[in-house]
Amino acid sequence: MTAQTGLDPVIHGPVRLRVMVTLATLRDGDSLSFTRLQELLGLTPGNLITHLRKLEDAGYVTTVKSGRGVTARTSVSLSQQGRRALGTYTAVLRQLLDSASTNGTGPHQPARQTPGRISPPLQPGPAQEE
Amino acid sequence: MLEDQAMSVQEAAAVAQDARVRARRELVISAPLVYTAWGLVWFLGYGAMWLSARGQHPYRGPSGVSIAAVFVLAGFAAAAVLFIAHKATAGIDGQSVRYRRIIITTWVTGYLILLLVQAGISRSVSTRALAFVALAGPLVLAGLVYILASVLGRNRPAFALGAWLVIAGACCAWLAPADILAMCALAGGGGFLVIAIIETRLRT
Repeated sequence: MTAQTGLDPVIHGPVRLRVMVTLATLRDGDSLSFTRLQELLGLTPGNLITHLRKLEDAGYVTTVKSGRGVTARTSVSLSQQGRRALGTYTAVLRQLLDSASTNGTGPHQPARQTPGRISPPLQPGPAQEE
Repeated sequence: MLEDQAMSVQEAAAVAQDARVRARRELVISAPLVYTAWGLVWFLGYGAMWLSARGQHPYRGPSGVSIAAVFVLAGFAAAAVLFIAHKATAGIDGQSVRYRRIIITTWVTGYLILLLVQAGISRSVSTRALAFVALAGPLVLAGLVYILASVLGRNRPAFALGAWLVIAGACCAWLAPADILAMCALAGGGGFLVIAIIETRLRT
């Protein structure tokens, strides 16, 4: 599906998309602890590690380990490349949604949702105006 | 769900929107709440001081009870803001944490300097000049701190609030002491509350 739609297959999965969008909420230069990210997404450590590894291999996220023993901490942040990739993903998604609403169907499957629900205000950038 | 499941474009949009709303609710400090807390301190605290000092001839200053009320209100507001900030930023590290430290240090240092200046000039200047430093000084300082915060955080509402507070504070130089209290309550507290409304509207 992603090859046909032009959506980045690395991002186009429920968990990885949520990871990317969550990290994009942080300001440039900020990172989030692994435990807080895990808590926010409601994932097991193993599941989150698996998806983070895929995103890290693509150069979209950076993980940094610091401290030792009980003070050990892993921080996760979105790279510039990841921020750009999410921006592109969002733009493509928006185009597909627009064409779906114009045609009255989804791009590769019948629309199962109301038109109102498929036009969310997607903004991948960081929340600069807080 | 080790391997991400396939999803339609519509599902992807819904997932992205849901994650964005949740992340903003959990990870971003609620600016409207912070502005409202400080706005109430300025409006109610300075308002109480104005009520106790208005009509005094000669001016003797606000009552001890009203001054104590300001400190109690400020204590509650500071505790509430610290709780909100701590809850939202738990687990976040990096530039914004450093910026927050700079802002808090600037505010505390500025306020201590203001107290020192006030103590130093208390016997050598008129009541009106002393009232300006003691009452409008914190307003100008708050304005400058919000301008600094707006530059560091690229936040336009904070800049507008900071500029408004500085201008309102500067205007106090032409006012009688009791009127300075009214100005701080209305322009200061009002400014915070208006920005809280604007921030709320920007978010929705």
